[in-house]
Amino acid sequence: MSKELRFLIVDDFSTMRRIVRNLLKESGYADADEAEDGVVALQKLRNSNFDFVVSDINMPNMNGFQLLGEIKKDDKLKHIPVLMVTAEARKEDIVLAAQQGAAGYIVKPFTKATLEDKVNHILTKTGLK
Amino acid sequence: MAENQGHSPVPAELPSLEGVMALVQVHHELGALTRQLHDSLTGLGLAEKVRDWAGELPDAKSRLSYIARLTGQAAEKVLNQVDQAKEQHDFIAAETRRIGALIVADPVAAVAKGHVMNFISDVEQASKKIDVNLTEIMMAQDFHDLTGQVIAKVVNLAATIEEQLVSLLIKTAPPDAVLKATPAPEEYTPALDGPVVDGAGNAEVVTNQSQVDDLLASLGF
Repeated sequence: MSKELRFLIVDDFSTMRRIVRNLLKESGYADADEAEDGVVALQKLRNSNFDFVVSDINMPNMNGFQLLGEIKKDDKLKHIPVLMVTAEARKEDIVLAAQQGAAGYIVKPFTKATLEDKVNHILTKTGLK
Repeated sequence: MAENQGHSPVPAELPSLEGVMALVQVHHELGALTRQLHDSLTGLGLAEKVRDWAGELPDAKSRLSYIARLTGQAAEKVLNQVDQAKEQHDFIAAETRRIGALIVADPVAAVAKGHVMNFISDVEQASKKIDVNLTEIMMAQDFHDLTGQVIAKVVNLAATIEEQLVSLLIKTAPPDAVLKATPAPEEYTPALDGPVVDGAGNAEVVTNQSQVDDLLASLGF
């Protein structure tokens, strides 16, 4: 039996964390934890095992770009795919996220199908599925 | 031809000399106040900030319109989904009563004629539709995140204006006036841009997911 994938959802709005968590559960990924900003996310990533990060960008304390940078420069974490789910719609932000190593980029508001499609695509591409 | 054509009509009663003098005095005082305000703003280096506020106010207006539009759409979406879910719920309730009556009347026939299996299939289909409705209701709550970010920007603008106005008030108050110092709000740190409130004609932003995908594909991702 394959191991269940563990997700970390990072967003400063609890409503959005619940929405993403419920959507992942509906898509068959029930094992998920939450963090309200990049600082808390990084602590959780370093203290526990996660397979996938879904992160907002505009957050207090440590934003999504900074979190992405920290993950990608940490040898123990850099293999974890990071999907950005954000309201930031500037092209330069999308390009920056891609250059920093984001596995995908979704602009809010989004649909259930979009999230499911991107997550499955990334899991297949990274060999996690 | 009227005697006063092309001129203002002559009032029935001319204002008194005192009244005219009073009006002139008010006019002078208003002019002096305006000059004083202008000099104060310039002297305090606030004239430029006031121009900045004026520039940001239309942006605040469009942000508030965006909030009204998004919350309205969310409410409409939720109500529509609730209507559809209630329709399915009513259907399940009616079918349950109907199959119940059939089973009570003749349980063997109810099964043999396929009524029970049809009922099970119908309930399963209706449940799936309700599940879609519930997911859509959940997704409609994303307005909280999007409007929250926009509200934060408008609040920051209001706080900045308030801070500068209080500063102006303190610096221009008469020496004998006692003003309680208002603690300055936290320094406004420009955040990221947040939701696009009006992306029409702006080539620097994307307005939907397919544009994001196209951009990433063009970069080889």
